[in-house]
Amino acid sequence: MNSTYEIGFIITPDANEEEVKKIIESISGSIKKAKGVIENIDEWGRKKMAYPIQKNLEGYYVFIQTEVDGAAIADLERRLKQMEKVLRFITLRLDDKLKKANKLTKRWQKIEQFRKRTQLSHEESKEGTDPAVKEEETYADEK
Amino acid sequence: MQTRSSSTDGKPQKKYYSTRKKYCAFCKDKVTLVDYKNFKNLENYISETGRMFPARVSGTCAYHQKQLAKAIKRARQMALIKFSEEKRGY
Repeated sequence: MNSTYEIGFIITPDANEEEVKKIIESISGSIKKAKGVIENIDEWGRKKMAYPIQKNLEGYYVFIQTEVDGAAIADLERRLKQMEKVLRFITLRLDDKLKKANKLTKRWQKIEQFRKRTQLSHEESKEGTDPAVKEEETYADEK
Repeated sequence: MQTRSSSTDGKPQKKYYSTRKKYCAFCKDKVTLVDYKNFKNLENYISETGRMFPARVSGTCAYHQKQLAKAIKRARQMALIKFSEEKRGY
């Protein structure tokens, strides 16, 4: 069963460009081995962290969105733990959340349709009667 | 609308209530998923010392407040937002 996952991790600032490339390639390679699809690799680069981790003030942020089997992710987590150059990592499953999001968008669309319909009917009724104009006429007659 | 009226002299006292109605900013922008990665938006929902604001203060709806709480916790874990900070300048 494939499902969409999001993996984010922080690499130490003292790592070279080659080392960063190696880590990303090793992770993407293991995903491809498990017949997964890499949808997006988002590299933020060096960024100042909100608090120091292991006395490092900066970190190299990388986020990867994939579609793989759950067993492959469990294997990846074990490997990320062993990597010394990786300070922190996080893995999220996005499937159920995307489903919920779709439900919400559908609900909003329904609400908007309903609003449009009610507005139209309101305008039509206004055009038919126009109470404001009538009132003015009656006032003019009295004077 | 919170109203506060204390009648000590028997006279009807002035009522204090907020004039502007709060609304959920995520519902207005039609955000379906609160992402922990855009930490700049999340910083609007934490205090100076790093505590989360309750929904009663920020005005977010229950659906988004649940997601926001989780997103803030995740962002803290990834060092995008501070855990806590002492007040400075006093």
